[in-house]
Amino acid sequence: MNTLGHYTRLWLAGARYSIIRTMMFRADFIMWSLVELFWMAVNLLLIAVVYRHTNSIAGWGPWEMTLIVGTSMLVQRLLMGLFWTNLFEMGRNVRSGHFDFFMAQPGSPLFMVSTRKIDLDGFLNAPLALAVVLYAAHRLGLHPGIAQISLYFLFIICGLAIHYSTLLVLVSLVFWLQSAKGLEGGYFGVNEFSRLPREALRGIAAVIFVYALPVVVVTNVPARTLLYGAELGPALWLAGAAAFWLTVAILVFNRGLRRYSSASS
Amino acid sequence: MLAVLNKYRSIFVVGLQSNLVYRWNFAVRAGFSLIHLTFVFVLWGAAFAGQTGIGGFDLRQTLTYFVVMLALQFFISAMNEDYEISEEIRNGLINQFLLKPINYYLYRFSLFVSARLVSGMLALIPLLLALPLLADKLVLPAFGWNYLAAIPALAMSAVIQFTIAYCFGLLTFWFLEIQSFIILSLAVETVLGGQVFPLDLLPKWLYAASAYLPYYYQMYFPAALLTGRITEQAVVLRGLGLQFFWMVALLAIAHLLWSRGLRRHTAVGG
Repeated sequence: MNTLGHYTRLWLAGARYSIIRTMMFRADFIMWSLVELFWMAVNLLLIAVVYRHTNSIAGWGPWEMTLIVGTSMLVQRLLMGLFWTNLFEMGRNVRSGHFDFFMAQPGSPLFMVSTRKIDLDGFLNAPLALAVVLYAAHRLGLHPGIAQISLYFLFIICGLAIHYSTLLVLVSLVFWLQSAKGLEGGYFGVNEFSRLPREALRGIAAVIFVYALPVVVVTNVPARTLLYGAELGPALWLAGAAAFWLTVAILVFNRGLRRYSSASS
Repeated sequence: MLAVLNKYRSIFVVGLQSNLVYRWNFAVRAGFSLIHLTFVFVLWGAAFAGQTGIGGFDLRQTLTYFVVMLALQFFISAMNEDYEISEEIRNGLINQFLLKPINYYLYRFSLFVSARLVSGMLALIPLLLALPLLADKLVLPAFGWNYLAAIPALAMSAVIQFTIAYCFGLLTFWFLEIQSFIILSLAVETVLGGQVFPLDLLPKWLYAASAYLPYYYQMYFPAALLTGRITEQAVVLRGLGLQFFWMVALLAIAHLLWSRGLRRHTAVGG
């Protein structure tokens, strides 16, 4: 319990520092919030344009698709707000030797590396993503119960764990490659698939994006929970994938950490 | 005149050499773009299921549009030129160009052309490797005069793309941090340049309005010419005219920003 309290205090101190820093550069914060907002609008615009010309994508109607896209945006905003900057900077810090700073902190290096900063602009757009989900649910005439809503958020946390883990694995490659620059491009490419219904993927694409890298499951399982209620098989699959990827990411990070030797003088 | 050309030719050759050093970066980037292409194929494949055409074009024509768009990105679009210009201003590296008989715009443009030549050729490798899988899903229009019209359109697109990036880079004279401006502009360019969906799928009035904006001529216009989405001669000529107008207008804006920005610039250090 004491350990939990200790890490909560560390996270709160980091969050306080991030908020104060963000408020020092308010114009920059507003600009970045607009950037995030605009990219979210781009995703919705694509759906709007496609459904001007078709009634269904793999059996999913426009508002069901909006539910998936909104869920994808929610996971993405939480990832951006909580972890993205930290992991992105980790690659640079390992290369430059500034990673030493995290080794000397009063906590687990993985925790310190992952949670030092929060990005308010990513965080503040998360409620907007949630608003998209709520609006889509309203248009679909859904009235989910407390259990469904709780499960939806539990699955969002599982999805966040999967995204965090895959990103951590990618960035941890810096311990071997000396540069993870450009790998985020691959991450964003793969993440595009989280905006697709499972039924749209067939063959090798389904094997890769549903089973090997479960980005499709991350959004489809929560969305289907709101639409049709909890389904045991997919729920277990999502929770299992989250546990698996988190374990792999921690193992890869720790193996990488053993290879790390300070680069600074 | 020849001496001037030789000067920028030398810069082009140096740019070619330094970009070849980063050949793996370009190759990896091109490889990742195939992931995006797979997403496009899955999404549009599902959207076309059960219908023969969307917006007057069949699935093969639509997929061809996206493949051409992807190839064009590596041949004519600005990638990190805005950041590089911004860094040169911030670090005072442009000071050397103020003392030499070199036009900074032409210097950067020579480097841009060399970089796109390298990135474009490297992007062709994964595309050619994927061609056996893609061949039956693609269709190009028969050779016609729209291909000839695409040549000046592509050249002007490259100038427009570079000049917009150049203008954003020059904003560093006024703002210390321009990254958010660039990413915001990228979102606008991505949509209105037709990279997210073919612009002709927009409502008619919105499509007509987009044709008056410079973004339309960044990517969509040449891609539409190459893939047969624009075929009417009058529309092509009008498009080329408007594209020329935007190219000149952007060059004028770039010149204005450069001369105004230099008034604010302070060269410090030896």
